[in-house]
Amino acid sequence: MEDVVKGLGLLLEFENIILILAGVLIGVLVGALPGLSSPMAIALLIPFTISLDPVAAISMMAALYCAGTFGGSITAILINAPGAPPSVATALDGYPMAKNGEPGRALGLATVSSVIGGVFSLIIFIFAAPLLASLALEFGPAEYFALAVFALSMLASMSGKSSIRNLISGLVGVLIGTIGIHLTTGVERFTFNVPEFEEGIHFVPVLIGLFAVSELFKQSEKLNNVVDRIHAKALKLPTWAELKKLKYTILRSSGIGTFIGILPAEGSTVAAIIGYNEARRWSNNKEQFGKGAPEGIVGPEAANNAAAGGAMVPTLALGIPGSGSTALILAALIMHGFRPGPYLISETPEFVYAIFGAMLIANIGFLFIGLVGAKFFSLVSFIPKKLLWPAVFIFSMIGSYSFASSMFDVWVMLIAGLLGYFMDRNGFSAAPLVMGLILGKLVEESFSQSMIIHDNNFFALLESPVVLLFFTLTFLSLSSPFWVKLFLKK
Amino acid sequence: MIKNNKNASSNLGALFNKKDTIIAAIVIAAIAYLWFETTKFEKVPALFSNNIPPEMFPQILLLIILGMILIIPFEHLFLKKDSESIDSGREKPVQKTTIGTMIILSIIVASSQLLGATLAIIAISISLPLYWGERRLKVLIPYIIGFPLFVVLLFNIVLGVHFEPGLLKFILN
Repeated sequence: MEDVVKGLGLLLEFENIILILAGVLIGVLVGALPGLSSPMAIALLIPFTISLDPVAAISMMAALYCAGTFGGSITAILINAPGAPPSVATALDGYPMAKNGEPGRALGLATVSSVIGGVFSLIIFIFAAPLLASLALEFGPAEYFALAVFALSMLASMSGKSSIRNLISGLVGVLIGTIGIHLTTGVERFTFNVPEFEEGIHFVPVLIGLFAVSELFKQSEKLNNVVDRIHAKALKLPTWAELKKLKYTILRSSGIGTFIGILPAEGSTVAAIIGYNEARRWSNNKEQFGKGAPEGIVGPEAANNAAAGGAMVPTLALGIPGSGSTALILAALIMHGFRPGPYLISETPEFVYAIFGAMLIANIGFLFIGLVGAKFFSLVSFIPKKLLWPAVFIFSMIGSYSFASSMFDVWVMLIAGLLGYFMDRNGFSAAPLVMGLILGKLVEESFSQSMIIHDNNFFALLESPVVLLFFTLTFLSLSSPFWVKLFLKK
Repeated sequence: MIKNNKNASSNLGALFNKKDTIIAAIVIAAIAYLWFETTKFEKVPALFSNNIPPEMFPQILLLIILGMILIIPFEHLFLKKDSESIDSGREKPVQKTTIGTMIILSIIVASSQLLGATLAIIAISISLPLYWGERRLKVLIPYIIGFPLFVVLLFNIVLGVHFEPGLLKFILN
């Protein structure tokens, strides 16, 4: 309890509150702007937050992450252009409801269910993270290796065109992580006589390139797209009776979202789609879905915001990212000198509770923003792309350069952007690559240590029940398409 | 006979996805090159490397990637009929605007050491909107003046990010 008070006390500093609110504002803004996303905004923010106090920096990013997931729903409802992938499912019923003359009601339902989903997952987070961390304290290198392999296998089921391409992207990320001097032996690997490669590839320019610059190239293909806008005079909060009617849908979706968020690599997009499908499956008005059903709005919205809190559990407790955005928060933690994982919670619990507090403030913050600013945020999507994206590139360039005052990093950013664009065009997502890059060091280190401990006998690793469990889960995760097919046939 | 040959080639065409075959070929070539690189890593006595030589982990990764990339040309055969086509989004060649954008940004990045940060920012603010067809002067002029000014003020003056002066140094001198 003392740690909770201490952690929340850290947030009460004026500077921290301002930064969290700035994170919320930026989050809703980027969420509302089609093409911009919270991972991109976090990637752009990392270099500028390095000099900040870690509590302020990570809290700001966590707030941005929560608010970004919500922000996407504004444009999904008002212009049928989801600002972020997790809001795609919200548009299915949000836009028809807005078109039927009830944009304020649709926004109100989205806002309230997002807040409930977010707060629900934070309550789970506050209990589950320390519990998971205390279990993980017993883990040795072999268990960590098996956990990291399981996390990599989960990349297969990340949203994207194909499982196998996601896995290849993840492994390429791990491979990029091997560039530089090998820690155990001091041998240079894949440095190609370029001195800058000796320290390895910096995360920041790669992240900015993959998320921001590649998106710029994508957006250059659709500069003249015109969208239809519905005017929302004000946001209309749902009545108590309406909320009572929707309570099971909201709670079910909050539970689904939190659970999916906790699974390594599964993010808000998957949670929102499942939240929508489940809302439809349990609804008595299935025929209303697609025409403006309230369940079709609250289902995905509660689920995608709950996934944001859920994803923080493995990120902080195990050092395994729960989604693309949390992979970036993990990278930021590493850059601030923290070692994400069970020791973070056992040694600096107040820090973890401060992040929890920041996410709670963010949830309340976007309720307020939803109430007073939805109209404004629906307008930001009309900023001309021809002016917005050059600005994004300028921020990307400064962000990559300022991290180590190196032009080499700007080149890395540009090349990562080109790579990200061509990867995406061919069905290879950037998010698994980033997760692979971040997990890479953990995989190699834990693999080497466990092989040393077990005299290079790989099968000796299987003597640990935890390793066996994670390998079984890995097998099930990789073979899931086969099992699903078999199950559906029956 | 000719008809049979035609059928055989079209069957073969249906088996492989042409674009994915090209991607697989590029990745396999990259894997071969990187594998060759791993053979050039400095050799370390087993005692120092604890029997885990530095090339072992990258080589394992390269082998797994190779195994997976070999499936890619045939992947379209296993996809469900109702799932998104593997070719969606790449049916058309890369647009000229996108290629032009890539070239402009590469030129600006290449010359930014010479130009300096401020001039590079101004160059991006002018070149990209103009290239993308923005012609409204009442929008362009405030943007070209205001945005670089805002960026320099925020990052260079307020946040203290070092901006290379580049050509601006000579111009101001």
